[in-house]
Amino acid sequence: MTTFPLLLAVGVFTIILGTVLILLLVSKTEQLSRLQTSLREMTKSFNDLDEQAKLIVRTDLELNKAQEELDKRLNGLDALQKTSRLISTTLDEEEIFKRLDQSLIVDLGFEKNLICVYDKDQALQCRLNVGFSPEDVQFVVTSLEKERSLTQALKEGHAFTSAASSKQAKESIIRIFDVEHFVLTPILTQNNISGILFVGNRSNASAITEGDEELVSVLANQIGQALENARLFEQAYVASQVLESKVQERTKQLALALEEVKEINKMKSEFISAVSHELRTPLTSIKGYASLLITGKLGAVPETVKERLEKINAHSDNLVKMINNLLDIARIESGRVEMKMEKCDIAAIIETAHDLLTPQMREKNLQWKTDISEGIPALVLDKHQVERIFINLVGNAIKFTPENGTITVRVRHDPRAAAIEVSDTGIGVSKADLNKLFDEFYRVDNEINQSVKGTGLGLSLVKKIVDVHKGKIWVTSELTRGTTFHFTLPFDPAAPVTG
Amino acid sequence: MKGISEVSTQIGIGFSRHLDSQQAAREAAMQAKTGLRGADAACAMLLCTGHYDPHKIVPVVNETLRDPRMVGCSTAGIILSGSIETRGVAVLAIASDEMKFGDGFVEHIDTMSPPDVGTELAKRCLNDFGAHGRQVFVFFVDSRLKNISPLLKSVQGTLGDIFPVVGAGSCNHLQDKDAFKIYRDRVLTNAVSGVIMGGHMTVGVGSRHGWRPLGKPRTITGAAGNIIGSIDGKPAYNIYEQYFEEEAAQLRGRRSGQMAILYPLGIYIEESRNYLLRNAVDIRSDGSIVCQGDIPQGTRVHLMIGNKESCKQAARGAAEEARQNLLGKDPKLIIVLESMSRLKLLGRMAFQEIVKIKEVFGSRIPVIGMYTNGEVSPMQSTERFKRPHLQNESITILAIG
Repeated sequence: MTTFPLLLAVGVFTIILGTVLILLLVSKTEQLSRLQTSLREMTKSFNDLDEQAKLIVRTDLELNKAQEELDKRLNGLDALQKTSRLISTTLDEEEIFKRLDQSLIVDLGFEKNLICVYDKDQALQCRLNVGFSPEDVQFVVTSLEKERSLTQALKEGHAFTSAASSKQAKESIIRIFDVEHFVLTPILTQNNISGILFVGNRSNASAITEGDEELVSVLANQIGQALENARLFEQAYVASQVLESKVQERTKQLALALEEVKEINKMKSEFISAVSHELRTPLTSIKGYASLLITGKLGAVPETVKERLEKINAHSDNLVKMINNLLDIARIESGRVEMKMEKCDIAAIIETAHDLLTPQMREKNLQWKTDISEGIPALVLDKHQVERIFINLVGNAIKFTPENGTITVRVRHDPRAAAIEVSDTGIGVSKADLNKLFDEFYRVDNEINQSVKGTGLGLSLVKKIVDVHKGKIWVTSELTRGTTFHFTLPFDPAAPVTG
Repeated sequence: MKGISEVSTQIGIGFSRHLDSQQAAREAAMQAKTGLRGADAACAMLLCTGHYDPHKIVPVVNETLRDPRMVGCSTAGIILSGSIETRGVAVLAIASDEMKFGDGFVEHIDTMSPPDVGTELAKRCLNDFGAHGRQVFVFFVDSRLKNISPLLKSVQGTLGDIFPVVGAGSCNHLQDKDAFKIYRDRVLTNAVSGVIMGGHMTVGVGSRHGWRPLGKPRTITGAAGNIIGSIDGKPAYNIYEQYFEEEAAQLRGRRSGQMAILYPLGIYIEESRNYLLRNAVDIRSDGSIVCQGDIPQGTRVHLMIGNKESCKQAARGAAEEARQNLLGKDPKLIIVLESMSRLKLLGRMAFQEIVKIKEVFGSRIPVIGMYTNGEVSPMQSTERFKRPHLQNESITILAIG
């Protein structure tokens, strides 16, 4: 009897336990299912994240490539700017290549670099080399000479790059320079090719980009420009040296010729001086005897003879005058005239000349005008010689001015000199004659000169006198309108010139 | 013999980018010598880029500094206090009656087993160093040695493992030229040279890379030495194909190129809770990836990504770690061994890393360093034993106080 309740209790317990276990199992199964779902979701998220990582890697790779290219460009531009500044400030070809520092070229970012320049015989000479042995350079130069089509294209200005060259050209360049990526560009000057610039990389990791090509082109242009400038400067320098040498030679010749001219002039002056002295003595006798004969003291002289004697007398006077002028010119030129420099009133000198020439002016009814500025100081000069200036110039004016004309003398105050003009309303002088007026024995070919005797020495003497007073003389004229002689007389020729 | 300065430690750094090798060597050595204030150089480090002929440089530097213990190598770039130079010759000269140095070298390393190379190098350096307290071992190794982990183990086995070992893989920006090592007046290829520094000095080393894991982790399912055979049961190269698609083909070129540098593989190191980076130096026809250091099988691997900012922050982090390891002593000199990958990534901003370092150590601290092809240094960790790892893409800062 006691076993039944026990069995019942066990039965109930078993049922309850079973129920609990069943419930637990259901719960665990649900939990497991949820965990499996979570795991699947996590795995999916993990894989999604990994996919995102792949995207990140690829984006990062692109960014790094861009960054690398940017860095390379910046380094290249930096190196280019430095190189450009260095080579553009010299005009010496040797110096250009010295300044093309290898490190600057290396900074452009290429493993192999070569610059060759054509010499006078059109043979390539290596001027800068990075990454090539001497044997490599020799091989490159020899090989390029054999590759006619390549060198011809370079000479025509074509550049070659590993990215954009024909297969044949690319293979040739790779073989010659032993690289995988390259830029080979001509160094062009204004009219032709000066040389070649080569840059290259061996590895696939350092391929040449479009930016590299531009960079190398700019560098080649700058080298070409610098070489052109250096060569032009060299040519100009050589030409200037030749010219300078010629100028020196000519100057030397001219100096010798001038010395000869001076010597001849001196001899001429001495000759004129000697001859004039020798002529004057017998001329004085001729004139003396002619005058004596005219007086009739040696017997009556027929009227026709007397006329001839008077002509002898007049011609003798002319001859004496000419000889005196010649003697004066010779003396002034040789410095043998002693100038009596003293302070004088220029207006008084002009008036003296006027008084002396008034009769001739009256004969032609010429009007005399003077215009002398106030405040002209007393000039230091040789009064007698300056009178001769005015007598000669006013005398000429009278001679070449038709009746009723006007002769004007003006004196102006210049800073350090008196500026004097003697002008007339005469027949004038042609331009062709103006420059010769002061030459000795030069006489303008006109009707008046043909009828009136003259020596052709007056204006020459005037110029000599102005010169010894350290003044200047020149003439302006207009045919039929008149002539003006301009000259200056310093206030004091001995005063030092300042300012 | 003490120099006229009678100062316990003098440091001189010289640099020249003169075109002529001998002139560049003379200028750099004279500048370095001037910094010693008349004292004789006890130890020197010579770094030069591939533009120069080391056979012309080494004798000049050696003669100018009067035969110091000298090590060095070719580099893709030189790091200085004021600039990053991709062309030039740099000389570090140290004169000291407190510091002790012992140098050595091993040639023909490709004919020896890496452990033998490490043991021989360490023994030679120790013989020269004597019984002074060792503080740091610095060495330069040929980067053609693709797996130097066994070498590092044997170096530590011989020298002891409680002081740091730092090293650099020599490199050359010109691919056709051999990278070279320098030992005193000799120029070596296929070799390793190194120097133990010790005596009364303190050394602080810090190392970081700045790369972060990207995408889901994968498991290295097949690896032997420095070769990863398979990842997640597929040929290892498949990881690059998944992320780069057709661009991945560039990895099979003559040079693995920019891509392997920018996106290395990161192996999670449990003990340091950090990622050890590995560059793919070669992809084999069966799809396996050849790395510079050994790869433990079964470890998690990620594709890694970095940028300029993360590099700069890593430089600062490495500097802070080095400063911390100096244990309060003032630094006299900073030597930077930094992956050339970082130079490629940072480009014109490379000097910003040096700015970060100087923010930590002060603007007047002398800095010299090089861009390497693989760096050896302890990883950022709290471990007492500074187990050196071959790293890629990293910056290692050696502060000497």
